[in-house]
Amino acid sequence: MREKSYDVVIVGSGAGGGTVAKELAPLCREGLSVAVLEWGAKLRDDEFTGRELEMAGQLYFDSGGVLTAEGTMTLAFGRAYGGSTVVYTGTSLIIPPATVERWAVPGITWDDMAKRSRRYLAENNVHLQEDEVLNENNTLFRAGCEKLGYRVEQFPVNLKGCKGSSLCNLGCPNAAKQGTHRVQLPAAEAAGVEVITNCRVDRLGDRELFATVANSSFGEPSRWEPGDYRVKARAVVLAASAVNSPALLLRSGFGARLPVLGRYFTAHPALILVAEHDHPISSYYGHPKSFYCDHFTDSHGFLLETCMYFPFTTAKNLIGFGAEHAELMRRMDHMQMILVLAIDPALPDNRVTIDANGDPVVHYRFTEEVLTSLLESMRASARIFFAAGARRVHAPACANFFVGREDATRVDELIARRYLKLGRNSITSAHLMGGCRMGTAPADSVTDAWGRVHGLPWLYVADASLFPRASEINPYVTVMALADRVAERVRADLPGLGPA
Amino acid sequence: MQSLTEREWEFLFSCVAARIAPDSAHLDADGRRRFREIVTGALAQRPETVVTQIRLFLGVLRRAPAIRYGRTLDRLSPERQDAVLRWFQDAPVQKLRQGLWGVKALVYMGYYAQPQVAVSLHYTPSFDGNAHLHA
Repeated sequence: MREKSYDVVIVGSGAGGGTVAKELAPLCREGLSVAVLEWGAKLRDDEFTGRELEMAGQLYFDSGGVLTAEGTMTLAFGRAYGGSTVVYTGTSLIIPPATVERWAVPGITWDDMAKRSRRYLAENNVHLQEDEVLNENNTLFRAGCEKLGYRVEQFPVNLKGCKGSSLCNLGCPNAAKQGTHRVQLPAAEAAGVEVITNCRVDRLGDRELFATVANSSFGEPSRWEPGDYRVKARAVVLAASAVNSPALLLRSGFGARLPVLGRYFTAHPALILVAEHDHPISSYYGHPKSFYCDHFTDSHGFLLETCMYFPFTTAKNLIGFGAEHAELMRRMDHMQMILVLAIDPALPDNRVTIDANGDPVVHYRFTEEVLTSLLESMRASARIFFAAGARRVHAPACANFFVGREDATRVDELIARRYLKLGRNSITSAHLMGGCRMGTAPADSVTDAWGRVHGLPWLYVADASLFPRASEINPYVTVMALADRVAERVRADLPGLGPA
Repeated sequence: MQSLTEREWEFLFSCVAARIAPDSAHLDADGRRRFREIVTGALAQRPETVVTQIRLFLGVLRRAPAIRYGRTLDRLSPERQDAVLRWFQDAPVQKLRQGLWGVKALVYMGYYAQPQVAVSLHYTPSFDGNAHLHA
């Protein structure tokens, strides 16, 4: 086993890890050493092919189809240089004040979160796209919402030189999306931070990590030779996702001293809804996600967003099979799509555990309230589709495959709870949160408000696992703001931490 | 590493896939080979327990119709095959619904994830998509 030693080791290179790396990079000029250990590969620019299965296999855990233990939801999260920021759509929102209030973490204020968030909005070139590059899939959603009097807003996005490939969720082939792989990690590396890709951290000890490097058949080779490593560090920052950060701590035996570890997992359970227009609409040209509707967030617990997915993902998310399914699939150029995100509660039994091999297992039970939110979201989406001129709507909780335009006034009756069945309906999640929640003491949390793990002054968490409840919006900017706080704390604590 | 037996494969492709994704029945030899490679590759990446569950479910799906119709699924008329698949999709037991969902996902992956199929779906994205927006 080879040995390495650093002042700071960061596990994961997504919104959290990439941010901490960049913020701690100035330490390298002071003679300190910082390393990022990333499980995934760093793809070369020409390897972003936009091919659905190939990219999913290279950029996501389990190709984006990690099943919960109950088998009722699939989880999509990234594994790459840049983590999930490689595969998100770049929608960049500041956490709402009411959400920070609901989080109720002493020491976390909205003013502080907003100030830090704004810095990353500027750093990532976040802006509103001009009207002429918004496609019909997006503008029809806006028109439908406006016609119905639903509040609708445009997403600020972190793009530079976007050519509208619509392939954001498969990794931008034009290097336009300003994720940590394009902004924070290159800046950190230029300042002396070492990023080691293809490096899986197996276990964590007292100020040391045990990791394995194994190169993939794609991407750049790791800067370390393949093999097993023992890596010593004065400070360790975990930013390996809401699934893998808790799992790594559990696998390393920290569960006994941290009773809340892995618990209070939330996911914004999502549905992909589809309607068909009489005529072709532009949907897979242009950025796929330009608008959101938060009209129902407080009243019914869901958000609606525009989206555009790829053939297999779309096919899998439609209920039913056979001729009707095939007929709809053959008309992808007529499809309008809406993504639903349910605002789910943080419950102790929704949690990450590990199996006998130490691999993560996500346990997630749907509450009746969340299922009701999903049902109401289908009805609201159907109304938006019809208001936008759709010919027919595919509603996953309906007796028939389609609701036709002639039945547009009957959506509340036709889309019914009895058809919404777990295991029948495709429910997905790409917003994985909680598991190492912030708080004040081990009885209710894993870390303090600065991401420091209770009782372990050398160990920090800096990813969405910190969230005590759902973010209620797309979470990456919030992760970056929290990671910035963690980096600040590490910098302040480091002089007092012993040698590696 | 587990995979499907030849008999399970034949049942999945010739019977189940033909009902779930009817266009898969029109695939040429290369398309069928790609279908099999995709499904086999997906199963190879899944935990052993998941593959075992899929194989078990395929066995249940094949034999269960014998209780009602006296024949296995592959020996029923297409209409009855659809009725059986619909029953599983809405089954009162969650595990059965999940089983069909998993098999459907495999079939859709085998067919719709083939880049060669995209044109027939009128799905033709471009890296330079904005250039096509107002074409």
